Amino acid sequence: MFIVTMDPTKCVGCRNCEYACSYNRAGTCSSEESNIQVNFYPDENACIPMTCMHCEEAYCLSVCPAGAISRNEETGAVIINENLCVGCKMCMLACPYGNIHFDSAKQVSRKCNLCDTDEPNCVKHCIAGALNFEEVEEYDGNRKDCDGIIMRALKEGGDK
Amino acid sequence: MHVVIIGNSAAGLSALESFRKENKDAKVTLISKEGGIAYSRVLLPYYLRGKADHDNFFIRDKKYYEDMDVDYIEDTVECVDDKKKVISLEKGDKISYDKLLIATGSRAVSPPIPGLDAEGVYNMWTLKDAENLEKYFIKGKRVMVLGSGFVSLQAAWAARFKGLEVTIVELVSRIMPNVLDDKGAELLSDSIRELGADLRVNTMTEKIEKLEDGSFRVYTKDNEPFEVDFIVVGTGVRANIALVDGTDIKTDRGILVDEFMETSVKDIFSAGDVAQGPTTFGDKHIIHALWPTAIEMGKVAGNNLAGKNFPYEGSLNMNTTQMFELTVSSMGRFNEGEGDRVEVLDGSVFGGKGYIKLVFENDKVIGATAVGSTNIVPLLGKLRPLIRKKTVIDVPVEKLGAYLHLQIAKSNPRNIMKSIKSS
Repeated sequence: MFIVTMDPTKCVGCRNCEYACSYNRAGTCSSEESNIQVNFYPDENACIPMTCMHCEEAYCLSVCPAGAISRNEETGAVIINENLCVGCKMCMLACPYGNIHFDSAKQVSRKCNLCDTDEPNCVKHCIAGALNFEEVEEYDGNRKDCDGIIMRALKEGGDK
Repeated sequence: MHVVIIGNSAAGLSALESFRKENKDAKVTLISKEGGIAYSRVLLPYYLRGKADHDNFFIRDKKYYEDMDVDYIEDTVECVDDKKKVISLEKGDKISYDKLLIATGSRAVSPPIPGLDAEGVYNMWTLKDAENLEKYFIKGKRVMVLGSGFVSLQAAWAARFKGLEVTIVELVSRIMPNVLDDKGAELLSDSIRELGADLRVNTMTEKIEKLEDGSFRVYTKDNEPFEVDFIVVGTGVRANIALVDGTDIKTDRGILVDEFMETSVKDIFSAGDVAQGPTTFGDKHIIHALWPTAIEMGKVAGNNLAGKNFPYEGSLNMNTTQMFELTVSSMGRFNEGEGDRVEVLDGSVFGGKGYIKLVFENDKVIGATAVGSTNIVPLLGKLRPLIRKKTVIDVPVEKLGAYLHLQIAKSNPRNIMKSIKSS
């Protein structure tokens, strides 16, 4: 499937992606309304864009007690049906990446749905080439475990 | 092979789906006591608050049972004969099995207070309860909520939200011991009172008297009696284990299971609220009775029913909801033990508002709780893998946000965080 890939070494922190997402979704240019978030850490010299990775074994999807999260069979995107969501926030607690947000006006969870197009708005408006809409290889067995992937990286160490 | 699954909720269905991924051919029978299409108990308070419609309760549809190729039986299992591998149903049928999953869940229990068996006194546990309660959820009605756990307080919030007069009566000195630490409970208690509910802790209910007009007079120790129109009892649940009486299946408060969700009798598995299984902290037998735990246990059971060697990494308690205008969440061991290090943070550190507490054991994060704005919840989500894998965190907590994001980027999930790993 195609997903939004993120390159933190190219991200310049302009937040165009956030504004594009917010405008498309809520009609305003506001970081708070965006499903993609640019995390800027000056001390660490890091600028990390984060948006949903549409995990193959999506924990948010399996634990949703309202059956509101499903996979769009056509695009492969993990999507929230806001008519079924009751706003319990279990998905926000389940996502190991912090990629589910809350729509305080509608009182439901919200997340990236890949804009249901072949060119998501965040990618279209990225000025640095940090975001791309690319085909990713399907998982092999060891890549399924999101928690495990993070932990392996942690054990490999690196700068803190 | 014939697999029989007793239970039509989170654990039973999760097991069914995992089993069917591995095995399309075996005959599977699913037995439901309540009958009908599977519904989600978690939605009860949201329904009473008006946030979910009646249709929203149902988390599967009729076609699902056809797609899963199950024989669906609406009946109650009276007993299990583990020697002959046969179960007996209330309506008289007997069904033999090769492998059995007991996912019978739990039921609401009431304290022994005289008068609690009257019409107008309800639990908040089944679809029927919600349907009974709905007609009382009208502005101006008076309700007593007995107990102050997660379910009771959600009921109380739904009532207050709808404009009812709400009195919450709790026997002990504080609310929500399974979800919040003392400070979190205090913050939520303040909010409950500010929003106009009458929260009475340290209060013993002595008896309930039904009056001629159908309302109730509630007598509590050391206080004047008060009157209400109806009563919601939320004083805990108990595992449904009576069906294994007389078998070799070992039980305690629930059915004891190992990391494969297998009971002490071969080919009999158990999952969900009824199962007392391993936790991520190394406890052998704990009942968490939580939706995510039921989903996880069901997945493990389903795989092992299909003959896979699929161990559970252990249950990790996690809870979240929004009530009385606060988002309340917790995970793992949020009450510190002796020698544990505690870090208390203001939610603004993570771009939110409120109170966050992290608990560390030997620099490993083991639990967290948060009371405040919604946007502090994802922090707990990102900590979940670290709690599970007992990770040492040796950065100052103010740097936790940056640390977590850098680690996620470096882990390169789905191969989509492009260059940071090699840089």
